Amino acid sequence: MTLELLEGNDAIAASAIAAGCRFFAGYPMSPFTGLLESMSRRLPAAGGVCLNAESEIEGVNMTLGAAAAGARAATGSCGQGIALMQEAIAEAALNETPFVVFNMARNQQDYFQATRGGGWGDYRTITLAPKDVPEAVEHAQLAFHLADRYRAPVIFYGDPLLAQTRVGVSIRPLDFGPLPPKDWALDGTGGGTGRSRQIWTWAMGKATDPGPGPDRHWRAVAEKFAAIDATESRFEQAHVEDAETLVVAFGSAARFVEYVVDELRADGHRIGWFRPVTLWPFPGAALTAATTGKRRVLVFELNAGQMLDDVRIHAADRAAIRFIGGVSISESGLAFGELMDAPVIRDRILAVLAEGERP
Amino acid sequence: MTVVDTSQPPSEPARRVADFRPSLLLGEHSLCPGCGEPVALRVLLEVLQELDVVRRTIGVVGHGCYGSFVRIMDVDVLQCLHGRAPACATGIKRVRPDCVVFTMQGDGDMANEGLQEVLHAAARGEKITCVLLNNGVFGDTGGQLTATTVLGQRTKTSLQGRDPETHGYPIPVADLVAGLRGVAYVARGAVSTAGAVAQTKRMLRRAFEAQLAGAGFGLVEILTMCPTGWFVPAPDGPGYLGDSMEQAYPLGELITWRH
Amino acid sequence: MERELVVTGVGGQGIQLLAKTLALAATREGRHAMLSADYGGEMRGGPSRASVVIGDGPLRALPVLASAWSAIVAHHRFGEPVLARLRPGGPAIVNLPLVDPASLPRMTVYGVDATAVATSVGAPQAIGFVLLGAYNAVTRLVDPASLVAAMEELLPPYRKQHAAANARALEAGAAAIGGRDVRHAEVRR
Repeated sequence: MTLELLEGNDAIAASAIAAGCRFFAGYPMSPFTGLLESMSRRLPAAGGVCLNAESEIEGVNMTLGAAAAGARAATGSCGQGIALMQEAIAEAALNETPFVVFNMARNQQDYFQATRGGGWGDYRTITLAPKDVPEAVEHAQLAFHLADRYRAPVIFYGDPLLAQTRVGVSIRPLDFGPLPPKDWALDGTGGGTGRSRQIWTWAMGKATDPGPGPDRHWRAVAEKFAAIDATESRFEQAHVEDAETLVVAFGSAARFVEYVVDELRADGHRIGWFRPVTLWPFPGAALTAATTGKRRVLVFELNAGQMLDDVRIHAADRAAIRFIGGVSISESGLAFGELMDAPVIRDRILAVLAEGERP
Repeated sequence: MTVVDTSQPPSEPARRVADFRPSLLLGEHSLCPGCGEPVALRVLLEVLQELDVVRRTIGVVGHGCYGSFVRIMDVDVLQCLHGRAPACATGIKRVRPDCVVFTMQGDGDMANEGLQEVLHAAARGEKITCVLLNNGVFGDTGGQLTATTVLGQRTKTSLQGRDPETHGYPIPVADLVAGLRGVAYVARGAVSTAGAVAQTKRMLRRAFEAQLAGAGFGLVEILTMCPTGWFVPAPDGPGYLGDSMEQAYPLGELITWRH
Repeated sequence: MERELVVTGVGGQGIQLLAKTLALAATREGRHAMLSADYGGEMRGGPSRASVVIGDGPLRALPVLASAWSAIVAHHRFGEPVLARLRPGGPAIVNLPLVDPASLPRMTVYGVDATAVATSVGAPQAIGFVLLGAYNAVTRLVDPASLVAAMEELLPPYRKQHAAANARALEAGAAAIGGRDVRHAEVRR
């Protein structure tokens, strides 16, 4: 296993290409820009196409088209640009077109955007939240697998640390199991046969080959997402059994929490951590189990409280929840602020533990 | 000049024009009497058949009355977001360069919501063929003003007629696109008279030939009748088109491509 | 075993390049490495900081280091928040005379006049490599040949002509330290 020292954005691009991504379209915006530039450099040599789209809306719609034609395709931006893509993400969820959206976010403030969505209709978006560059390399490929498996757009939730830290990683194609053939993809061959294909959110089909129509189709799509909810959630946890306090965090924040919890445990504190790996489907049942009997459930995220809502929904005892995160942005506005730092996190946790009495 | 021999009955019995419809049309349209859009669809499908590219054609259809054509055209088709068809078509063509890719969009779709998409695709020289069905009104939503509504035209959002002071000026899409490098063929036709229909069919054929030759972006703007949206009786549609739309948007080829 | 290095200086001193060189050298040796960069928009004179972590297995260290074992300090400005994370007792290479060795009382400090050393081997731009050569002579984190190879690999095509001078700078920095374990600042020219 040869390691390559790659900047996160570049590692993600290389990994996506290893997964077979052959179309990428995006619009520059920090810290996503490096991913677009890497794709621009790497894709042509792999026989793919990378377009610097003239807008985020065009970028995501180009990607939708390429995916509708059967290619593994992706786009991306940071949260501000993903905001522009909401309509197309909903459209793809409802017309069942698979592609990957790389949100190389500036912070953790896009949790609601990713998990609740800003498009129209009854849809959900599978969202992967890697905690470090090696996991980002794995998720860059898993995202395409899940997209193709379920014929739905998938969000990869990155951040500035994932985008810009250079880590020695190994890039090779990962096998997540068999996938159904893309017999729905548009390739022109159905023309004139009476069995030509149609991709349409309303799924009414053709006059000679009717489809289910919007009512039955949207019910079926909603049922599909309910099935994904029941089977595809992923999480990680540690030191749960003997912990009095459980810290819940996602993405890079979870990596920092993991480090701090190790230190606190070495000092004798009975503390563990829980990390959703999929933000949607949120691993609610696992969180309920992990929080059962816990004296304190500390939620740490760099925002005003977004994953907090999902913790409130699923925690065994809502009264045990304390929010120890907050909005924290660098001076430039483009990166994490002071809160993404082990000593600061440690102090916050210790302050709550020192309160002694049940909150 | 050939003189028809009237001493004998015709060798073939008379047939309805509708019976000549191309086999790619899977059924009847459900649009208003006098609507020009079905005529445009029909000549488009005829051209695809004549060029023998049906087995590798992918269409991208926007939102409007013509949106329902995704049910009756026997080609692989993506129904996409309002205005975004040229972007979707770009993605399709870039991953399937051997396919013939076209868009079908109304003026509300292309000139309002999607003006940026079509201009950028044209400037990039994407090897696709965009078809603009221009009736100068948002037909599907009941007849409101679009970027191509002609001055003086009454619509539900310009009840006294389009007035430049309040509503500004219409946009000639074909002319705008023709000014960009990257275009191989740009033309404006109509479906208001038999001659115009024939001319439009030739324009579509040339546009697709440009795509097949890899020459660049093609746009055919087709003026279509919308008597409902124009508040005119259906039979008056073609004449009204000639008196109004055609005065604002002259017919003809703006950019042509040679072998 | 993991070793952390924080590098701090100003833009133009080659901070980012020296950090990248060390990280790449370790990676080419098959070790695990992580590199973080932090710099402002100015091409010259603004803060430039980097951190490198090298280990034999998947790294535990965070991309924002909670603490660090060692430092290279190329300039007295902008370094405080980063240097405050140093654990006592580890090595620190400081660039004389810009940096006062007494500013790091809890570290084992090695002073090198990198500008003089670089100039003396005809590589006046390469003070970063002088400091890196000195650092590696003290810490022996990687094989010196790996540093040279990484340096060459990182040179863009239009800078390949500097490879020889850079290699001399690395070697001269190592020589300035002489491989001896010294507990106080020394000046080497």
